Amino acid sequence: MTEPPSLSAGAEEEKESVPTQLMKHKNEVGVASEELGSTNAAADQKEQTTSEIRQGCVYRSSGRPENTDIIKSVVMDQEASRNCELYVPMSSNRSAMESSEESEEDMYRDEEEIQREKILLCEANSSEHKPSVSPEMDIMEYCAKEWRGNTPVAKRMRKGYEAVAQKFASIRRIRGDNYCAFRATLFQALSQATQLPRWLQSEDFTMLPENLLSKYDWIKQWQLKQKPGKKMGEISDEIKEYLILLRKKWKNISEIKSPTEKQEACDKLFKNEDEEYSLYEALKFLMLNTAIELYNADKNGRRVPVFSWLLFARDTSSNPCQLMQNHLNHIGHSGGLEQVEMFLLAYALQYTIQVYRLYKYSTDEFITLYPNDPEEDWPVVTLITEDDRHYNIPVRMCQETML
Amino acid sequence: MAFVPGQPVTAIVQRIEIHKLRQGDNLILGFSIGGGIDQDPTQNPFSEDKTDKGIYVTRVTEGGPAEVAGLQIGDKIMQVNGWDMTMVTHDQARKRLTKRNEEVVRLLVTRQSLQKAVQQSMMS
Repeated sequence: MTEPPSLSAGAEEEKESVPTQLMKHKNEVGVASEELGSTNAAADQKEQTTSEIRQGCVYRSSGRPENTDIIKSVVMDQEASRNCELYVPMSSNRSAMESSEESEEDMYRDEEEIQREKILLCEANSSEHKPSVSPEMDIMEYCAKEWRGNTPVAKRMRKGYEAVAQKFASIRRIRGDNYCAFRATLFQALSQATQLPRWLQSEDFTMLPENLLSKYDWIKQWQLKQKPGKKMGEISDEIKEYLILLRKKWKNISEIKSPTEKQEACDKLFKNEDEEYSLYEALKFLMLNTAIELYNADKNGRRVPVFSWLLFARDTSSNPCQLMQNHLNHIGHSGGLEQVEMFLLAYALQYTIQVYRLYKYSTDEFITLYPNDPEEDWPVVTLITEDDRHYNIPVRMCQETML
Repeated sequence: MAFVPGQPVTAIVQRIEIHKLRQGDNLILGFSIGGGIDQDPTQNPFSEDKTDKGIYVTRVTEGGPAEVAGLQIGDKIMQVNGWDMTMVTHDQARKRLTKRNEEVVRLLVTRQSLQKAVQQSMMS
């Protein structure tokens, strides 16, 4: 696509009421007609980290995109190309509705951006083991890229990110498969770990699978993760391995003194390899263990936290066995963590998970703590979510606050 | 400007009076801070002593209220409206500077160039 140099200043085009983002876009009158069919419009919604349905608008020489003809193309995003399954996030429906409301906004990426994305796609396809946690990026820059436009949703997201930017300077994108809640939480926990949590220190931690299996036969139906080529050993042996791995990694990382080295060790661990996924299986098992404890405590008349009632009040998980069959077994495959399961995760790890839920900006649920009344000495990890489906992490490496 | 925890701090300070600028709902000062007792001091490019966990000015917006008032990048903030800033967390520092009902903040800052200027004038 060639750009007419005289129009790059955008001066003449500015006569129409054009938002400032237009200055970045060099699709000028008449030139973009070559782009028919190949243009992917990012619209005013964020480009999601997983594959999504992008809408293209036919660009006519009037200088405005027309929403009447819409070309849908399924684009495999750079990160999604690494996943075997097509993850279509719920919010893609929301996106479809929004773009039809928005007719003023210029929705095109300019040539530079298209080139950049092509390069990224090539890189992505060539390497298999790309990090599960992307390098950090300035929060406001990230926000500006993802949320252009002036729909109420976009405005709310921007305000939400601004609020996060009060405390955190950067954001790191998390690979968007159904493990993302585990990934985000574990990554944050390990990045700041300075000691083994109490429950990891206990002597019979690794005996857990054996003990539970002997008491509850139905645990045999636990869905182990598929490991291509490797024979599946006894369930309790497999899970024991995962727990041992969790403890080993946690111990090693917590013993690293320097924060930068610790960060590097975490980056190395979360590289989309077997190890990473073994850790998530360990977490799942710990959640089951905690669920069993809570269920029994409740049956025996002991006090349990409120979320425990909610957890077992669901039709699909009225007891730990159902919880395993209908929920835990599916996490990472066909589903992620429901909110009530975030509580369970927090309880299992004895961590407080603080989440900035951006779509709840200006409500009192904007910053939600799992659990809501955290124990005093439970460490806090912070996550960001725009929609309670996908989680990213804020980091503070730049330690700077704008006033 | 050596920083020894537990020892009284002696420094040559400059008074900076910043009149905040109203932007919609917010009062902005036009600079960024880094540091704090809860932060990692080795990442601070402006401190002479890498164990110094004080609050430093990391950015100054051009033409903003802080620049107009004479604040400079690299300045260490010792006090804000009488409140000490040498032993505060990052968030406490932010709060002291962004009180909603305060349109003016009076800072005491120190910078290496001040120290040097005084030393030189003493020697001549």
